[in-house]
Amino acid sequence: MWLWYDWQAAAVADEDGIIHDQAVWDGFFDQRALIERLQCIANGGLTQEARLLQERFPEAKAAIHGTVELPDADWPLPSDGALNAADKAATEMARQGVAQAAGDPDRRLEHLLRASDELRATFLTMEARLVEWVGLFLPELRFGKDRSALPKAVGEADSLSSLASRLEVAMPDVGPSKSEWKSLREWGESTAIFRGKLDRLENAIRELSESHLPSLSIMLGPLLAARLCVEAHGRMRLARLPAGTVQVLGAEKAFFNHLKTGAAPPKHGHIFMHPWISRSPRWVRGKIARTIAAKASIAAKVDAFEGEPWTKEMVEEIDKKIEDIKAANPKPKRRSR
Amino acid sequence: MGKNRQHRFEMLSWAVRLENRSLWSENADQGNTVYGESLRKFSGIEYRRWDPSRSKLGAAIMRTRRDRSYLLPDPGSTVLYLGAGHGTSISHLHDHICGARNDLGGRIVAVDLAPRCLRDLTHLASLRPGLVPVLGDARKHNAWGVLLPRKVKWLFQDVAQSGQVEIFINACRRFLQINGIGLLSLKAASERWTGEGEDVLFEKVAEQLSETGFIVEESIKLTGYEDNHVLFVARRVE
Repeated sequence: MWLWYDWQAAAVADEDGIIHDQAVWDGFFDQRALIERLQCIANGGLTQEARLLQERFPEAKAAIHGTVELPDADWPLPSDGALNAADKAATEMARQGVAQAAGDPDRRLEHLLRASDELRATFLTMEARLVEWVGLFLPELRFGKDRSALPKAVGEADSLSSLASRLEVAMPDVGPSKSEWKSLREWGESTAIFRGKLDRLENAIRELSESHLPSLSIMLGPLLAARLCVEAHGRMRLARLPAGTVQVLGAEKAFFNHLKTGAAPPKHGHIFMHPWISRSPRWVRGKIARTIAAKASIAAKVDAFEGEPWTKEMVEEIDKKIEDIKAANPKPKRRSR
Repeated sequence: MGKNRQHRFEMLSWAVRLENRSLWSENADQGNTVYGESLRKFSGIEYRRWDPSRSKLGAAIMRTRRDRSYLLPDPGSTVLYLGAGHGTSISHLHDHICGARNDLGGRIVAVDLAPRCLRDLTHLASLRPGLVPVLGDARKHNAWGVLLPRKVKWLFQDVAQSGQVEIFINACRRFLQINGIGLLSLKAASERWTGEGEDVLFEKVAEQLSETGFIVEESIKLTGYEDNHVLFVARRVE
C-alpha cells in the first residue's frame, strides 16, 4: 500500500495503482496557508490530508508526489486553478527568501568589510597625495607620525597664507594660483570627509560584529573577528573550520606556496593583526598564533551555535596563557647546525 | 530599398529567428530588455538579440550540427530549468514557450540556490507570467517537486557544481518523460580532475549517460562562446 501526497491532496493506492481512498484540500485561494503547506513539504513534513489518511491506513507507506517507486495511478493531481495558485505562492516564497537574505549578517558584514577596505585604500592614497602636495608649497612643513590634522586644516583654510600661519610655518616665495589653491583645498576637504566616512563604516562593522560574533569579538576585537568571518565565507563555515585553518586564514599565498614548493609554512594569517602576535617577539609568534587560533576556533563555534558568549574574564585567562608562553621562551631557540 | 535586398533568415520556432549569424527571439515583454541585449524590429515585430556568449542554450543552438530547432521545447509546454542563474537563457526560453502575457500557457519552473540570482529572477517573473522562480537546491527534489504534477518533456541543467551528472540523472528519472529531452551543460572545471584531460572526462560522462537509460543525441562543444563547456543532449529511453 502506498500513501501518495502532494501539497493539495493525498491518496492511498495499492501496488496495482487502484485508489482506495483520497482527500483533497481546496483552500488554495488562501496564499498564506498554501505557502505554509509548501514549506511544510519542503521540510519533509506531512500535510493534514496525508496525516488523516495515514491514520486510516497505518500500513501504507507515505511517499511524496514524484517518488520513483510509486506505482502509476490516477492520483488527484491539482486543477489548473490550483496549479496557478501554487505558481503564485512559489514566486512569493522566492521573494520572501530573497528578502530574508538581506537579514543575513554574514552577507551584510561582507559588504561592510569590503567597503571599508576599499575606502581605506582610497583614503590613504588621497592623504599621501595631500601631504606631498602641501609639502611642495610649504617645504618647511614637517609631519610627525600624526598627519591626521592636515586634511581638516587644508579644507578649512581660506588661503595658503592662512594655512601657513595655522601650521606655524613660513610662506614660500612662489604660491599656487587661485584656481590651483581651490583644487588643493577641495582635495583636503574630500580627504577629511573620507576619514569621517571610514570611521563611521568601522563603527558599523564593530556594532554588527559584536552582535553577530560576540565571543570572537571580545577575544580578538570586533574588526578582526569580522575579517575572519568574511574570509571564511560566513559564521557557520568559520565554526566548522579546523583551528589550523583559522590560523593561516589570509595567508593563502604563503600556504599554497608551502604546499607546492615545500617552503616554510606561514605561522599566521589575519590573526597576526592582533597585538598578542604582532607585539610579541618573533620566536614565540608561531606558538602564540597556534594557541590563539585554537581559542578563536572555539569562540567561533560558541557564536555560530549561539551559546553563552564569552566574558572579559575568560579572555584574560587566554591573555595569561600567552604571557606564560612568552615567559617560557624568553630567548630565541638556537638553531641546530 | 529594403524589399529588394536578399536577406537570409530562418525561423527556428514561431518566436526564434536566425538572422544570418545572429539569433533573435520575439520579445514577450515589449520595449524592455533583460540584460542589456539589443532590440530590433523585423517586419514590424520586436525581437531581442539572443547573445550566445551569455547563454549556453543560445550557444548550443548556434553550434549544433543537427536541425537547430530540436533543442527547443514545444511552445506552451511545461519545462524544468535547474540552475537558473540570472535569467538570461530563461528570458529567451520564456519568449518561445510563453509569449506575451503567457498567451501560449507555458510554464518554466526555474530553480536556483543563490538568493542573488533569485533577486533578478523574481523581478523577471513579475514581468513575465508563466515563469515560476524557486529558491532551492536542485538536488532536493522534495522541496519543489510538487510544483510539477506531470513529468516534463524538456529539462535543462546548468549547475556548475561537483556531481553535476548524478544530479542530472536523478532529476531526469523523476521529472523527465520517457522520450523527453534533457540538456546538460557540463563545466569540466567543476568535476574532479582525473589528470587525463577534458576530452576523456566528457567521453566518460557520455558513457555514464548511455549506461543509465539515455541516448546521447549529441554532445555540443561550446568552445568560442563558453570555453571548457560541453552541452549534452540526452533523450531518456527508459
